[in-house]
Amino acid sequence: MFDFITNYASINLLPAIFASLFASIHFHNKTMLRKSLNLIQVYSSNQFRQNIRTLYVSATNEAARKGTREKARAKKVKVEIKKVAFVPFNRKKLKIDMTNKHIDDSWKAIPADDVYVGKYYRWRVYTAPEAIEAHKETHHPSMYNEPNAPLFAHVELNMQGEKVTRFVENFYRIAPVQHKFDHGQERTILVFTKGQENIEMAKNAGATYVGGTELVKDIQNGDLLLTDYQYAIAHPNILPDLLPIRGLMKKKYPNPKNGTLGADLDEIIRRFQNGIQYSAMKDENQKDFGLITAQIGTLDMETSHLEENLASLLKDVNTVRPKRAGKFITRVLLKSPPSKEQLKIDPFVYVDVGKPEVKKEVTLKKSKKRGRSFAKSVDEEEVVEPAVKEAAN
Amino acid sequence: MLKNLLNTGIKSPAQHLLLAANNFNAQQIRTTFILKRKYPMLLNKKNLPPRPLRARDYVYDLIEDTNVKKHPDVEVILTSYVSGIGKKGDIVKVSPSYAYNKLLLPGLAAYVTPQTVEKYVNLDDSVKEETYSSPFALRTMNMIQNKVFSIVMNQTHPWVIEPWHIRVSLRKAGFNILHDSSIELPKEKITGPDLTIQNKGFSVVVTINNTEKVEVKCKIHHWTRDPDIKLPYVFEHYKLPVEPIPGVGKPESLTNTIDK
Repeated sequence: MFDFITNYASINLLPAIFASLFASIHFHNKTMLRKSLNLIQVYSSNQFRQNIRTLYVSATNEAARKGTREKARAKKVKVEIKKVAFVPFNRKKLKIDMTNKHIDDSWKAIPADDVYVGKYYRWRVYTAPEAIEAHKETHHPSMYNEPNAPLFAHVELNMQGEKVTRFVENFYRIAPVQHKFDHGQERTILVFTKGQENIEMAKNAGATYVGGTELVKDIQNGDLLLTDYQYAIAHPNILPDLLPIRGLMKKKYPNPKNGTLGADLDEIIRRFQNGIQYSAMKDENQKDFGLITAQIGTLDMETSHLEENLASLLKDVNTVRPKRAGKFITRVLLKSPPSKEQLKIDPFVYVDVGKPEVKKEVTLKKSKKRGRSFAKSVDEEEVVEPAVKEAAN
Repeated sequence: MLKNLLNTGIKSPAQHLLLAANNFNAQQIRTTFILKRKYPMLLNKKNLPPRPLRARDYVYDLIEDTNVKKHPDVEVILTSYVSGIGKKGDIVKVSPSYAYNKLLLPGLAAYVTPQTVEKYVNLDDSVKEETYSSPFALRTMNMIQNKVFSIVMNQTHPWVIEPWHIRVSLRKAGFNILHDSSIELPKEKITGPDLTIQNKGFSVVVTINNTEKVEVKCKIHHWTRDPDIKLPYVFEHYKLPVEPIPGVGKPESLTNTIDK
């Protein structure tokens, strides 16, 4: 800056400016210093505009160090432009059904007549035996003539977890059945156990392949493929020998939580062979809506047996219930193709409803920051309310 | 000259009327807003004049706009049977606009006063009027009469039509009948499978709440899973006219009423 001034400033005014500058520094007078600096600025901007030449002070023109630019070039990530197939403009926006899948018809009336039009009222809630009998009617030989049609339970879940933003993971389970039926699925079960007795028992129970420690070596060698078996079950007596293949088995490694490890092999294998296999899947667009569709038997079974199977399915589903208030199982429908009827039943005969949801009341706590007088007025309102209610009564 | 006339300052009576005309049909203007100060006001000093209001003292939160407030339901007393609402003499609560436009204006209801209550609640049994067993019976009757219900029966297995077949078929169509006893079939037996009666109809009588008897039209449809003998799908079959099954008459209660 001083270079600039000495080069271009006219000498007439400079001494006065410098005198004030030095005086200000000498007397520690801040305002004076500021004024004198301003003066220099004004002086330079107004008086010598014509004479100003651009000063080159930046280092942009200096050559970059060798390799710096190359390094920078190497650092740049090439963005590949993906070619997108042509999509017609009318299909660009996906039409997503945004309606709430948790259907609530409690606003509708309860029918009082003995003949009524269903659509004006709440869905009729059957007891499970009633609904099963109704399906048996439609599948009677005189009508559909499908007496051994499969009976499906359609279980709707509220997948919301303990927090509003958290959801229960999709789950795949097997529910035990009291009365076995032909589910039409091939289930392959691998059983690890020691002792001839246990091996015999497992074979009788319906295991696909049974073996002891020799299986561990086969798996390690690759002679036995774990992918051929859907489930792996083990007796606790062989567990220490299974440790080497723990990494290979991954999620199939037997553990008591999944019910794949236990001393009562007969019961476990029967459960896996005959049980109700089901999966609860969250809806793609509505994360708090989960759906299970599982077969609980065939219509030619006894009604009470079907009801027991349904109960055990619902109880098994309820074990996954998150620790929160409100319903987990929200609605259960019974279906049986080829009939398109969906008969609603009350699941809470078999499982707990859960604690009722408590809706948080919106309080005006924010206002307390603002001052005492406002907080008082809030209190006053609360006091006034009951009196108003009484008056209204 | 006209200018002079106007400047006289004398107004004709018609002018008053014209000015007033705007307010003849004027509605009450509801301009009450319930507000709350957003920021607390400062307290005044003792023995001093009150503080002037600051800009922020004019900032309010809107608590309620009385102009858009929902009006409570009103009670009216019905002067005759109204489908979906109630029977004569019933005191019902409905929204004010519905009460005014649909009940009070057509004369189906009156405001609840001691006089109207006396007039309509304490009815003479001697004066018989057309009433129904429930507010919704008429609606159900109208809906059930105007449809032809398909009775889906098996194409290979022999059957005889029974009341529960009708109940199941109506349930599938969204009409609930709680008791088989409220279904009356024709005297003649309808048996099958018989492709000569395919798509042909018959009448049954359904009794609502043991009082109203309705004729319900049904038609036979033969169903099978066997693709070789399965009947072809008829497009919009429900729009086609239905011929009656030959030799099958109407249920007894229906013929009796016609005779009367």
